[in-house]
Amino acid sequence: MSLNIIVCAKQVMDPETPLSAFNVDEAAKRVVPAQGIPPVVNGFCENAVEAALKIKEAAGDATITVISVGNDFVMDVMKKPLSMGADQMILIQDPAAENLDALGTATVLSKAIEKTGEADIIICGQQASDWDNAHVPLGISEMLGVACLSEARSIDLGDGTVTVASSRSDGYEVFEAPLPCLITVNNEIGQPRYPTLRGIMQASRKTPETWTLNDLDLSESDVSPALTLSELFVPASDRECQIIEGEDEADSGRLLALKLREEKII
Amino acid sequence: MLDYYNVTELLSTEDRQIQNAARDYLDSEVLPGIKGWWESGEFPKHLVPDFGEMGFLGSNLPSEYGCPGVNNQSYGLIMYELERIDSGLRSFASVQSALVMYPIYRYGSEEQKKKYLPEMAKGNLIGCFGLTEHDGGSDPGAMKTNARKDGESYILNGTKMWITNGNIADVALVWAKDESDTVRGFLVPTDVPGFTANKIEHKMSMRASVTSELVLEDARVPASAILPESNGLSAPLSCLTQARYGIAWGALGALESVYEDALKFAKTRSTFGKPIASRQLVQDKLVDMVTDHTKGLLLAWRLGEMKDAGTMDYNHVSVAKRENVRAALKAARSAREVLGGSGITLDYGVIRHMLNLETVDTYEGTRDVHTLIIGRHITGENALV
Ligand SMILES: Cc1cc2nc3c(=O)[nH]c(=O)nc-3n(C[C@H](O)[C@H](O)[C@H](O)COP(=O)(O)OP(=O)(O)OC[C@H]3O[C@@H](n4cnc5c(N)ncnc54)[C@H](O)[C@@H]3O)c2cc1C
Ligand SMILES: Cc1cc2nc3c(=O)[nH]c(=O)nc-3n(C[C@H](O)[C@H](O)[C@H](O)COP(=O)(O)OP(=O)(O)OC[C@H]3O[C@@H](n4cnc5c(N)ncnc54)[C@H](O)[C@@H]3O)c2cc1C
Repeated sequence: MSLNIIVCAKQVMDPETPLSAFNVDEAAKRVVPAQGIPPVVNGFCENAVEAALKIKEAAGDATITVISVGNDFVMDVMKKPLSMGADQMILIQDPAAENLDALGTATVLSKAIEKTGEADIIICGQQASDWDNAHVPLGISEMLGVACLSEARSIDLGDGTVTVASSRSDGYEVFEAPLPCLITVNNEIGQPRYPTLRGIMQASRKTPETWTLNDLDLSESDVSPALTLSELFVPASDRECQIIEGEDEADSGRLLALKLREEKII
Repeated sequence: MLDYYNVTELLSTEDRQIQNAARDYLDSEVLPGIKGWWESGEFPKHLVPDFGEMGFLGSNLPSEYGCPGVNNQSYGLIMYELERIDSGLRSFASVQSALVMYPIYRYGSEEQKKKYLPEMAKGNLIGCFGLTEHDGGSDPGAMKTNARKDGESYILNGTKMWITNGNIADVALVWAKDESDTVRGFLVPTDVPGFTANKIEHKMSMRASVTSELVLEDARVPASAILPESNGLSAPLSCLTQARYGIAWGALGALESVYEDALKFAKTRSTFGKPIASRQLVQDKLVDMVTDHTKGLLLAWRLGEMKDAGTMDYNHVSVAKRENVRAALKAARSAREVLGGSGITLDYGVIRHMLNLETVDTYEGTRDVHTLIIGRHITGENALV
């Protein structure tokens, strides 16, 4: 049986953007894209691609479709999952995607997943590094009526089922669920592979399919935000730096420990 | 990439993706180890299969021989990224790709191509290129290494000097004169009796790269080891043209690295109560570095366009090799100066790059030799001989 794996991937601003280049437009309540710093595929979404590739390798026969919603895709960036080895990509590009909240994004993605046909496994990054909400995967699983297995550190495919070890703060839990299901992953699933030159050249022959909300029978009002952002600002930081000097490294370490204890940090 | 004039905009999506992928991989997996390998004089041979997997070996050769088949801009960008880490890594990739795989592709038989290219692209086989001898590397036509036909074999005698990868190679492409005094290329398996590689020690440059002397004493190879289409000195020289193209890009990677170190240092270092970056003398150095990098990138990019279009000749390559390597060497010396005392330790990449670039300025044609090549071309007067 050929497996259909869907990976949801998001383009985000580079989380490594230096603080000096990070700006917020408080009046418009939006983050101003940093000049000259290209966006990236959200880190955990790259982990999701890696998880899908591992499942494909284990299953032998699978198609990996990457789906993303946005309005300002940068192709150099978004083709990365294809270069890593995903089979195809669907970009839902629509001006209305600019203002989506988690509910709207989940609505669009679940419609898109339905439109692709039978999905067996949907894999999402646990959360995106822009807002860190971790809402979208839950919304999709709810809308599609499939089980959600979160924070997978391993995924084993059974016969019509999947077994997932989910990370918890004090260890992990093992769950089994029937297919189709949705799985969220983070870095614990394993480092995403580097795109190779051969992978990039293969991906260069693939053109992502582009859909609009219209193609999903959705109108702007279907996805209008349920949440209102009332205020957006960069918190003032009153960081100060103190250099602890000692006679040698060991002494500096000792003095640092004393200081940290004094400040009740340790 | 340091890119003051946004040359990146002139590249294709794939070129940019390839560069980003190479940079991500090298920064995470290779950069952390380079200082240690350089200091201990060790080539990180364990990385070779990874380089193969990434597609760094023979990247611009066609996919029918297991190579990635990228264009020459992408090939140049890979050299850039490798040399941004260390010239020794770029040297390894240059020799493997431009000096061994390219000649096999260009001058080899179908059988040789099928036998060597896919394995070399994977990094399962390592090659070296033996042209230079002890006397006057700038005059390779004066080589003494010779090949004597003996039945169905050739017997090789001679000594090659300064051969990158010599001690780690599985196959040595040895250039030798046959009985009619014609320079021919021989693919010599390094385990044949009569072949010895002696590692050159005490180098103060290219310490993360293996450099060797090759000794051939009645080394016998079958006639099938000859590259059938190689007839004359123009064959090895055409390989050098390929490698020099990569160096023109690579040197700019080293330039970026030393510039970034110098800039960071200058911004955080204070004397007389002010960051040294606020001093005109320091800014002058940083501006020269950025300007040279910008000019160099335009040269390299244009050369790549010409190479892809088939209009590049070796005189064009000489301009970019000569200019970009010297610019990088000058920048490295100047960055070393900006770093003051800190510039002499390996804690920064600057002195490592500076010492490596002394080699890059010399090998593949010294700066002066390139001056004379270009001079001959524009004046019609040969000052080289
Ligand atoms: C680390 C390293 C790796 C190398 N790897 C390889 C390799 O893999 N394969 C290989 O075959 N070779 C390799 N080489 C050799 C390299 O190509 C030679 O060192 C280079 O060609 C210069 O030759 P030479 O050292 O014999 O110097 P020479 O040719 O003796 O030159 C000495 C000086 O004389 C100048 N000079 C020479 N001729 C003239 C002239 N006609 N007019 C004016 N000035 C002149 C030169 O510019 C130079 O300044 C490597 C060298 C190094 C240092
Ligand atoms: C091997 C070695 C041995 C040494 N031995 C001794 C020793 O025995 N005793 C001792 O006391 N010291 C010693 N030194 C220290 C040496 O004197 C300093 O390295 C030197 O004074 C430079 O200082 P710095 O390294 O802090 O560089 P910095 O002073 O930080 O200078 C960095 C760069 O900024 C430039 N710069 C600084 N100020 C200005 C300005 N106002 N305008 C424009 N440019 C400026 C400098 O020219 C330099 O290029 C030694 C250093 C080395 C490397």
